[in-house]
Amino acid sequence: MHPEIRRIQDLLAAQGYIADRTIATAVYLSIALRKPLLIEGAAGVGKTEVAKVMARALETDLIRLQCYEGLDATTALYEWNYQKQLLHIRLSEGSDRPVAEREAEIFSEPFLLKRPLLDAITRDRAPVLLVDEIDRADEEFEAFLLEVLSDFQVSIPEIGTIAATSTPYVVLTSNRTRELGDALRRRCLYLWIDYPSFEKELEIVRRKVPDVNGHLAEQIGAVMQMIRRLRLEKTPGVAETLDWSAALIALHRDHLDREAVEETLGVLFKHQDDAAAVRVKWLDQILDGLGMLEREGRPWSQQLVAQIAERLQARR
Amino acid sequence: MEPAARGTDRRAPAGAAVDGPGVGRARHGDLAANVVGFCRLLRRRGLQVGAQEAADALRALRAVDLSDRREAYLALRAVLASGPEAQRIFDAAFWEFWGAADEQRRPSGGLDATGLSPDGHQALERVVLEWQQEDADAEGGEEVPAYSPVEVVTRKDFSTFSADELEEITAVVCAIARRVATRLSRRTRTARRGHLVDLRRTMRASLRRGGEVMEIVRRERRLTKTRVVLLCDVSGSMDLYSRFLIQFIYALQHAVGRVETFVFSTGLSRITGSLARDDIHAALDDVARHVPDWSGGTKIGRSLRRFLDEYGGKVLDGRTVVIIISDGWDTGEIDLLEAAMAELRRRAARVIWLNPLLASPGYEPICQGMRVALPFVDIFAPAHNLESLRQLERYLARR
Repeated sequence: MHPEIRRIQDLLAAQGYIADRTIATAVYLSIALRKPLLIEGAAGVGKTEVAKVMARALETDLIRLQCYEGLDATTALYEWNYQKQLLHIRLSEGSDRPVAEREAEIFSEPFLLKRPLLDAITRDRAPVLLVDEIDRADEEFEAFLLEVLSDFQVSIPEIGTIAATSTPYVVLTSNRTRELGDALRRRCLYLWIDYPSFEKELEIVRRKVPDVNGHLAEQIGAVMQMIRRLRLEKTPGVAETLDWSAALIALHRDHLDREAVEETLGVLFKHQDDAAAVRVKWLDQILDGLGMLEREGRPWSQQLVAQIAERLQARR
Repeated sequence: MEPAARGTDRRAPAGAAVDGPGVGRARHGDLAANVVGFCRLLRRRGLQVGAQEAADALRALRAVDLSDRREAYLALRAVLASGPEAQRIFDAAFWEFWGAADEQRRPSGGLDATGLSPDGHQALERVVLEWQQEDADAEGGEEVPAYSPVEVVTRKDFSTFSADELEEITAVVCAIARRVATRLSRRTRTARRGHLVDLRRTMRASLRRGGEVMEIVRRERRLTKTRVVLLCDVSGSMDLYSRFLIQFIYALQHAVGRVETFVFSTGLSRITGSLARDDIHAALDDVARHVPDWSGGTKIGRSLRRFLDEYGGKVLDGRTVVIIISDGWDTGEIDLLEAAMAELRRRAARVIWLNPLLASPGYEPICQGMRVALPFVDIFAPAHNLESLRQLERYLARR
């Protein structure tokens, strides 16, 4: 393994983020090739986290641009600091300098409020620019972003063109609510983050919720694998797993049984219908599955859990 | 032989395998030639991999530990596969081209590394770009095929759809629904972080402080939510498309908050309530129970009239977009249809008519129903496959 990839993996681990090699390699390449990294995956698998860790790995700042429907270029680039301009006008009211000069003064850089995109390209030290949930912005914004990312300069009518003093490391995340344009895809390195495997999730639970005893953690991990195979409105992510583990601990549960699961369904499912469907339709099966796993008498692994889950699926 | 192969003959004998019938295996010796060959293979399988990607792939390989096959695999994948579907294609192609995983303990290392110095790699990268350029020139500007995992799906007629392809349709429908149902209003509202300055209010607020402007009141444009009314033909002549239609209306209703859905054939039924259920199967069962004459004949005029009389007052206003999905085959009275369409046009903001038959060869809107309805329609578009829906979405975006 390349030493730098190992370093990134260690850094991720130090932040409590269990990264497989796929993630570490993609992050490393994005830094080494200076290409934007596009991360896709379901909600709650830790896409945003990657950018934060990347900033820490590079010992630089993280600038975040949260996208939303209706986000437009000006909000992402710059605005004039009207208050400061007004104040300046009042202060210089008595002066006899020509109007043109005073006007030029209030439309200069000190009166400019840098929004994330402009901020990201005018730092002395290249920051990490996180463009979060790009799929929520519309296509026009995507095209605009592409332009900024390829030219790394911004033109402001009153000032002129501002060229980048440094090229930021760019991370984009998308939940795939909308298919992104091919032009943007081709400009980026691509990373797909899936729900974690049984082993990985187990490690995450153990690390983040240390009070969970070994067997409970295994049961939690196995149940998550089974639940993610169900057709739900919103499949629970890693965040939900951790909340659930914490809830079980708070209720002093040391193993999963019907009562424990029913009591805590609300933590696991954000959608009322999902909780109801699991309680009515699938809870028996899930508990069955746990029983089958216990009877196997082998150490639990992704392979074994998947086998059992498939057997349950076939029965459906 | 094709001109493409001529380039390889001349420049790099080691890469001769990159074209011709026996494609698809890496050769010993020349890493750059192999990368180019691999890129060609991916391209032939439908991935969007051009010269720039090939050059990036080489740069990526130079940046990682080449003796580690898994690392090289991950690096190439990050550069060359730009979506989950592309990754699946990539995976298959990778093992096929670079050989099976068990070869990795060869003394020479993981991929076919030739011990090139970094400089050597840099030179190769240039060469790759040149080759690819020449190939493109020689082949008359060969285009990278537009990659799209849904490409296959897009051209396929909805009447031949399988159930698991419906998810893709849902995505497009949601995009359309957003276009139809939201747009930036010209009206604004006061907002703390808006980027328009409300001068009037700013001045007014400053009067309290003796005309000193301390605070700037900002506004932003409002997001208008349009109401959508969906009128869907479920008569016998539309039978082929009913599965798609169901998906369409279900997706639309769930993507946009304010949708009223009606289905009609000889009569009219409001199914908004049934579709509101979160489980699609339960919703469909419910719909089936409430629609008495599924797949019967069509009386569009009479159905529209009933819609206007019974529901018009409640759901139609100057901002309502009405979407009618029908082939326009009306077995009822034509006058009734014409009058109803005229009234609909007057009372709604826009009338969109989607016709699944519009794209079938030879179809012209000659059937009487369609002909009288057409003058009152703002947008008349085909809706027989995914691509036609995409076009509709693009069209709506241009407004």
